Amino acid sequence: MQTSLHTASAPAPARRSHADAVPPGAAHPRVLLAPITVTPSKPLTPSHLKGLLWTDVMYRATAQLAEVTYRYSPTTYHLTEQTLGFWEHLDRTVGDTDYSGLTEEDIGELYVGYRSEGRRAGPAALRPYAEAVELHGWVHPASARVLQMWAAHYARLGMHDAGLLAHQPPELGLEEVIDRLGAAGMCLDQRAYGGPVFLDATRYGLPLRQIVDAGGRPNYLACVLRELVALAPRFDETVLLYDRELEPDYLLLERTLSVCGATVRRVTLGRVPIDGEIRSARHGDWHDHTTGALLRGAGAEFDDAVLRLGMRLYFIAGLGPGQQQSFRHEALRQSLARAARLLSHDRATDPAPLPEVLSRHRGAHLHVNPYRLTSALLARHRPAPSPELLSAVYL
Amino acid sequence: MTTSQELFRAQVARRILTARPELATRFDLLTADGLLSARREITRAASDAKVLAVCVLRDFDLPAWVRATCAFAARVEPSAAANWRRDFTRTVFLAGNPVNLTDRFAFDHVADDGSAAWQGPADAGASTALRRLLKLFDGAAELPTRPSTVVRVLADRDRRGRAPVRRELHVATAGVTIANCLVHLNHLLVEAVADGIVGPGDELVVRQAPWLPASAGPFAALRIDGTSERPDHLRAYTALTEEIHDA
Repeated sequence: MQTSLHTASAPAPARRSHADAVPPGAAHPRVLLAPITVTPSKPLTPSHLKGLLWTDVMYRATAQLAEVTYRYSPTTYHLTEQTLGFWEHLDRTVGDTDYSGLTEEDIGELYVGYRSEGRRAGPAALRPYAEAVELHGWVHPASARVLQMWAAHYARLGMHDAGLLAHQPPELGLEEVIDRLGAAGMCLDQRAYGGPVFLDATRYGLPLRQIVDAGGRPNYLACVLRELVALAPRFDETVLLYDRELEPDYLLLERTLSVCGATVRRVTLGRVPIDGEIRSARHGDWHDHTTGALLRGAGAEFDDAVLRLGMRLYFIAGLGPGQQQSFRHEALRQSLARAARLLSHDRATDPAPLPEVLSRHRGAHLHVNPYRLTSALLARHRPAPSPELLSAVYL
Repeated sequence: MTTSQELFRAQVARRILTARPELATRFDLLTADGLLSARREITRAASDAKVLAVCVLRDFDLPAWVRATCAFAARVEPSAAANWRRDFTRTVFLAGNPVNLTDRFAFDHVADDGSAAWQGPADAGASTALRRLLKLFDGAAELPTRPSTVVRVLADRDRRGRAPVRRELHVATAGVTIANCLVHLNHLLVEAVADGIVGPGDELVVRQAPWLPASAGPFAALRIDGTSERPDHLRAYTALTEEIHDA
């Protein structure tokens, strides 16, 4: 598999009917979308699906106005202890197994078992796994199976797949990123004394944050830095999408990437509570609301166009950026019904050219705000969305 | 015959008496059990010290840190030093880069090479913001052995009234991590400076060995503590000799 950055370009200038998207004569702005990735060790929950649909709408809408690169590399994050430890646990406890017959839920149950075991594998036990990932993009068959099933969900939902199954190593090695950050005065490396490596933005009043532990194990923030420190400054705008719980780390990341020369926009998304409670996938109990289950339920009843639009209406406009509303099957069904009505073309459609429609929802930045764009589809006393908008962004 | 354990106990008892004479009325510092109870009480109280110093470390190089620690200690006013002594010169070691902190925090001393900086000693509350921003220094690696080095301390201080002297500074390395070494040496040096054992222009010959050589004594100052395996078994971790006159 090839290394890839998935880039979508704006339509050629000749087709651009509205000039204010990009000033005349200016090169297309370049936008990098870098959402947090989901660890392929469990089914996709409503919280995961929300983040993925937001990113997908942002990507497809912004790609009409700018040159957009959607960076989503599972390869980069396999190196976290959470993933390597799971793989080591599987091989130690389950051993040789054909995972191809297992469902995401089955593999998720194994993950819950790993987390509840509470045992931390030593660096020596994880090293063969880390080396295999770094050297030739190896993926444990359990995670490969999960990624394969996710790719099928993406296809069904019409989501752009930025390389779930591709080998996409981060641009910088761990030592390279430590060197670069050190040169910028933003790294405190105390490994020589038996201590960890810290990301150091104390100059800006942000607390010291460990990125590599004393045993040499990098955490997910080290992986994000390996991926983005060199990449982000090459874009006019870098959009970071992440869960609200990670806000302190992303404030730190924003500051770090800015020091490295990037222009950063943060988009914070609340998780989706289940029965009023925000639960981590590591505890399991995903039951009937995994993405697979939702697709099986709604997919039997609605056609693909309704499914795709309805899911986006619910997870973006319905749930919004916050986390006040619990997931409700009934509310999802209502959104699917709204989608069916929007697609029935019983109203006059918006005659404005697509770039103009999309530009209304950009604000002061280059990327299109998925919430504003999607909420506008539902506004009363407005023309219905044009078929062009629906096919470019929602179907 | 007096064993070294008895000598060490007497030394520890002396330190406790200097810092907290009232503890001598609560514990029988002359017995092993009484001393151990007193030390446990001190350890308990240390987590709630009223007066403490903070040392921010970017890098650790033994001779450079010895020099900077003495320079820091010499700046402490006698009244502050007395209060600090009552909390057994408690010092918190934090990982941090002083260069990144000087815009936001006032330090009482910064090492010449910027590798370390000190705040206090002061009320613990005075360093809360700094301690929240940084993390504890994790010096879990074994203390590396280096060749003997001569460190000239307080070279820039007024030396009127006292001729510089030369002493050996012995540092044990066997089973000693960098973090342990910092704690032991810090107590020894800051108390030696306060007591005038180390003064302007003095030269310290830093010598590392697995265990402190008893033959190197008599000592002007000794740092004694239990070992991690046996808290009741005392060991000398670092010591300053009496003045030496050979080259």
